[in-house]
Amino acid sequence: MADILALVFRHNNAQPRDLKNLSFASGPDRNTLPCMIVGERCGIKTSLLFLTAVTAAAELGVRVLFLTPSPIQSLSGPLKDSLANLDPDGLKKIKFMYPRSQEELLQDVASLHECVRGPAGPPSLLIVDGLEHYLGAGGRGPTAARGEDQSAAAHVAALLADTAAFLTQKLEERGEACAPCRVIVSFDVEWQGHTPPGDPSAQDPLLSVLDRYFSVRCTLDRDRNPAAPAPAAAGEPGDVWQIYFSGVGIADGHTSAQEDGSVLGQQWRLAIRPNGAMEFSPVSAESLASM
Amino acid sequence: MTSYLPAVAEELLRDIRKVYQETTQIPDDLLLALKFVFGPSALQALDLVDQRSVTCLSSPSGRKVFQFLLYAQVIGGSGHLYTCYASCHYCPCPAFAFSVLRRNDSLLCKHILAAYLCQAMGLSQHETVTDQQMSDILSGKAGRGT
Ligand SMILES: [Zn+2]
Repeated sequence: MADILALVFRHNNAQPRDLKNLSFASGPDRNTLPCMIVGERCGIKTSLLFLTAVTAAAELGVRVLFLTPSPIQSLSGPLKDSLANLDPDGLKKIKFMYPRSQEELLQDVASLHECVRGPAGPPSLLIVDGLEHYLGAGGRGPTAARGEDQSAAAHVAALLADTAAFLTQKLEERGEACAPCRVIVSFDVEWQGHTPPGDPSAQDPLLSVLDRYFSVRCTLDRDRNPAAPAPAAAGEPGDVWQIYFSGVGIADGHTSAQEDGSVLGQQWRLAIRPNGAMEFSPVSAESLASM
Repeated sequence: MTSYLPAVAEELLRDIRKVYQETTQIPDDLLLALKFVFGPSALQALDLVDQRSVTCLSSPSGRKVFQFLLYAQVIGGSGHLYTCYASCHYCPCPAFAFSVLRRNDSLLCKHILAAYLCQAMGLSQHETVTDQQMSDILSGKAGRGT
């Protein structure tokens, strides 16, 4: 799953390289585990998910299901352009659904198995934007999430994971190259406008539950480098983010992440260009060491 | 679901499958290992298997879930149907919420373990539901469609 994000980053690289052969890594390096994008409350995660959907549909020919609480209102110019530039076939590959509540989200995901015998075939990328919206997480404090909330979060996450596993099996039976079915969700970590220090799962009982099901975490951290010029508003031009992957597999056998293309351990820098475009550049191991 | 289990648990279930197919029994050493790996839920899960309370539901789409009919009149509580997914660990029971999700001191609850054991021992009951009923069951909207 995270492999598709890494591919989006490479595709929107500050220094474009050979993009002719945009495809998934094959073999043991590809990472198709469920992935969760976490970061402070800000539209940047939605934009990133949207860019992922468009790239997957347009460049990889992947059918995408995009679940989000409400139609995406404000897309930056370049994202609007990327949508406008999609050919009709590409556009048809993205389906938006707008479940308003946890119940509706569960019903929408639970009924996906009904479409496997249709001519269009099942989606192979499931995206849920703003998972916190569905988990009763709005305005929660560190102690607010009770057992019920944790159980509900596990239900939503497990249904997504089980559905992806089922759709993967169906895509493979159909002999489709875009198998397995991937899942990417975004989740806000924030209390009263402050990102807590340290590992947020220690403080957020919902995040620790979600981590069970979304094995790869893609963390978006706003760059608060004191040497930087006056910080831009979150998600606005001039804003800079650090993106890093963590999760399952990092400790075992992924030591040479830089060479083998494995996404775990990779770090990226995301800069919002003056026109609102998202531009990614890889952060090398050396520059990490000197930080 | 096996990818969610530690290697030792997977191996144990493989051993149980193999021995049970040959002898239709689980020998004492494997029972002991089961208790060691899964704690007190091991015996409770075997009870569920014995009582044939695990049903594997499937629909024409090919989707599968495991369902547990609880003998509510014996327990004296409200009648509940618990649904567990086929490929990852989730159970709506209180033990899963408390011991697995909250305290993180158990790997799984007795229901999920019973689903594993039923598969290993080939003892699941099978029932078919419609795709629409399966959707309602997966979303938690319905127990067993009637
Ligand atoms: Zn249970």
